[in-house]
Amino acid sequence: MHYPFWDSSISYGLLMGCIAVLHVFISHFAIGGGLYLVWQETLARKSGDQQGLDFLERLSKFFVLLTLVMGALSGVGIWFIIGLINPAATEVLIHNFVWFWATEWTFFIIEITAAIIYFYGWKTLSAKNHIIVGWIYFASAWMSLFVINGIITFMLTPGDWLTTGNIWDAFFNPTFWPSLVFRTGMSVMLAGFYALLIASRYPAPDFDGFKERLVRKNALWGLTGLILLVPSFVWYWKAIPTEITTNALAMMKIPITSMHQGYWYAGAAALLLIVFGLILPRRCSTVVAVALMICGLMLFAKFEWFRESIRKPYAIGGYMFANAVEVAHTPTYQSEGYLKHMTFRTGDDGADLFRRACQSCHTMEGSRALKPVFDGTDKEFIAAIIKGVEALKGNMPPFYGTEEEARLLANYIYDKIDKRPLSEIYGLHGAPLGKKVFEVRCGKCHEMGGYNDKTASLIAIGETGYEEFIDTADDYGEAMPAFTGDEAEKEALIEFLKTLGHHP
Amino acid sequence: MNLPDYNFLSAPLPLITLLHIFTFSLHLIAMNFMLGGVIIVLWGGFNNRWEDLTVQKFVKLFPTAMAATISLGIPPFLFLQLVYSKQVYAAAIMSGWFWLMIIPVLVVTYYCFYSVSFSQKTNKQYRRLLLWVVLLGLLYVSFIYSSIFSMAERPAFMKSLYTLHQSGVMLNTNFGDYLFRWGHMVFGAITIGGFFIGLVGRDNAQAFSVGKTFFLGGMIVTALLGTLYLFTLNEYWAVLMRRGTLYFLSLGIILSFSSLHFFFRKKFMISGTMVFASLITMVTTRHSLRLVRLAEDFDPSLIKIDPQWSIVFFFLFFFVLAIALIGYMLRLYFND
Repeated sequence: MHYPFWDSSISYGLLMGCIAVLHVFISHFAIGGGLYLVWQETLARKSGDQQGLDFLERLSKFFVLLTLVMGALSGVGIWFIIGLINPAATEVLIHNFVWFWATEWTFFIIEITAAIIYFYGWKTLSAKNHIIVGWIYFASAWMSLFVINGIITFMLTPGDWLTTGNIWDAFFNPTFWPSLVFRTGMSVMLAGFYALLIASRYPAPDFDGFKERLVRKNALWGLTGLILLVPSFVWYWKAIPTEITTNALAMMKIPITSMHQGYWYAGAAALLLIVFGLILPRRCSTVVAVALMICGLMLFAKFEWFRESIRKPYAIGGYMFANAVEVAHTPTYQSEGYLKHMTFRTGDDGADLFRRACQSCHTMEGSRALKPVFDGTDKEFIAAIIKGVEALKGNMPPFYGTEEEARLLANYIYDKIDKRPLSEIYGLHGAPLGKKVFEVRCGKCHEMGGYNDKTASLIAIGETGYEEFIDTADDYGEAMPAFTGDEAEKEALIEFLKTLGHHP
Repeated sequence: MNLPDYNFLSAPLPLITLLHIFTFSLHLIAMNFMLGGVIIVLWGGFNNRWEDLTVQKFVKLFPTAMAATISLGIPPFLFLQLVYSKQVYAAAIMSGWFWLMIIPVLVVTYYCFYSVSFSQKTNKQYRRLLLWVVLLGLLYVSFIYSSIFSMAERPAFMKSLYTLHQSGVMLNTNFGDYLFRWGHMVFGAITIGGFFIGLVGRDNAQAFSVGKTFFLGGMIVTALLGTLYLFTLNEYWAVLMRRGTLYFLSLGIILSFSSLHFFFRKKFMISGTMVFASLITMVTTRHSLRLVRLAEDFDPSLIKIDPQWSIVFFFLFFFVLAIALIGYMLRLYFND
């Protein structure tokens, strides 16, 4: 807990997501595009296809301008942003993987040099040497992926490293190989998509169906990559420990929704490729190419979002929580609290605890805001939720601070919420108010028709039964908070509970 | 809970320090070529600026110099983060938005370089405008770097600043700490830019003369600003000198001024080697100052060493391979 916090007006997740998705979308093209260029150049030179070579030269200019500038700098951007939003997790990664990163840099400098020489070498290098440089480029770009892939996958599945501490166990972790194949597929797919985009803008007249052939060829690249994604993702999913996937399916909407949305984008991309790439290549306009690029971007974004969110509650699986609390130090925090261990403090302990425990994922009023979640509740309820936060749907990191710190944090949150009763905030009465009370006070752990649904056990137990249940709610489990709403809320909740079982 | 500890260094500290200093010096050479080059192309006394062959060569080389600057900037930053992560990240968080803005600024700068490089030499106003944008971008980046890395050496100051602001819009307000340092760095870039203008334009009397003027003039101003910076160090100055840094610093100054002698005789290999060696001494001095300033809070030599030799050798193997492959590709390019 050596770092200050950055009270960014934009949520950490959004900042990280924007930079990371932009980077992967370009950097994977930098790999697949490298293979595409040298592969197609070899074929074009063999068949004496000058028009094909002209197209490749044009593509290589776009390739260099995009990958060398945006690709490289967005990669540096990831370094910058992870250091800002989760410096502790970054420190863990750097201390363990510094020599892998250094090795990746050696591939990176080969890659950069080869890209520049390949681009400037179209007119000056012999055909044979130009192709050699192209292959050197691709090999180094793919090796760069190979190394980085080990570090990225480690964060989700550190595997045996947690017990052995051996760096090779960390690198060749359970999801290393499936992720490598998946990302290679993504690279090949993106090469086809980007090439289609350039082909759609290619101004040359269409002598003897050159453009048509080009569109078909690029569509095949895209489809090949897409096809590779299917088995590799299944493999990837199976390589993730079962407790993580089971938890995700049961209580985590974000990764599962992202995964399902990813299927839709993949399907849409495949449809566009088959219809406008293979069946009607003459109709493959810039609009279609842009639509494909959007599908590719969204598909990749959904995968990255899935990968990031399924890791919850950890930043590094089993080692460090998303809020940078080290698993190994949790007994110390439980006995001594967080505040004592914070190097940077502002003088407002509640705010400091909010930054430590919540701010990595939540804001008070912006993205994933806590204010609407707690509006109309009370300090006791908020403190109880904080103490049992790990029981909430969504797989949250536990709060390891002391009792007093939970109270300080609850006070801080309470100061910021709407203190009017729920009936006034939402203008509800009777059973509808009861439903809202249920959502606010019970629904955080018990989702009707969803995660941890207990409503079946509450059907028709009678008014006295409901009253008794509400009055003794905190007896039903350690994480269950007492009902601290007022009489009107209690009556409304009973009204609502009585309706259970009356609806399909 | 018996989980692996991460508070360790995976190689001996001297090796990490050596790699940091060496790669940072290489980064500075590329950066100085670029920043100094832009300033001299804009202000150098060329009769017909955009027609001048040396200027044209520089304009063509700028995007490659930018690529080299970024690529060579990665390892020193990596090794710095490895040892001084607690200080560097904390300072970066304090100035979060300024720090993050470096990326879009560099993107614009980089594209401007390419645009100048691809533009017609007759398009003078356009080229001038773009190079101005580049210059402002590079000065922004260098200033923010100086601000943040100076703040990183003041843990107590960061803590007091944090009680006032947490929104990531704080610059290092101890300007006395780093304005001379920043100026020293900018004029150092002009000095080395002058060296490269002289080298590239060695067969052109005017270009060589421009290079000579900036190399000599830049070196004098750099030395002056460096001296003024030393005066701002107050109590640290004596500690620094007791560590033997004085010898290193003196060696650097002697090497710098001696390189002029060989430069004037167009012995660029010797002069360039001396310039690079002096740069290493300056970076080493800078490193010593960091240690002195952090001494009360942090001693990197106390960090546990738990070497990962297998990967260190892996890295060294690929590093040598990279040098060989880059050399091979350059040979192909220039021989063809």
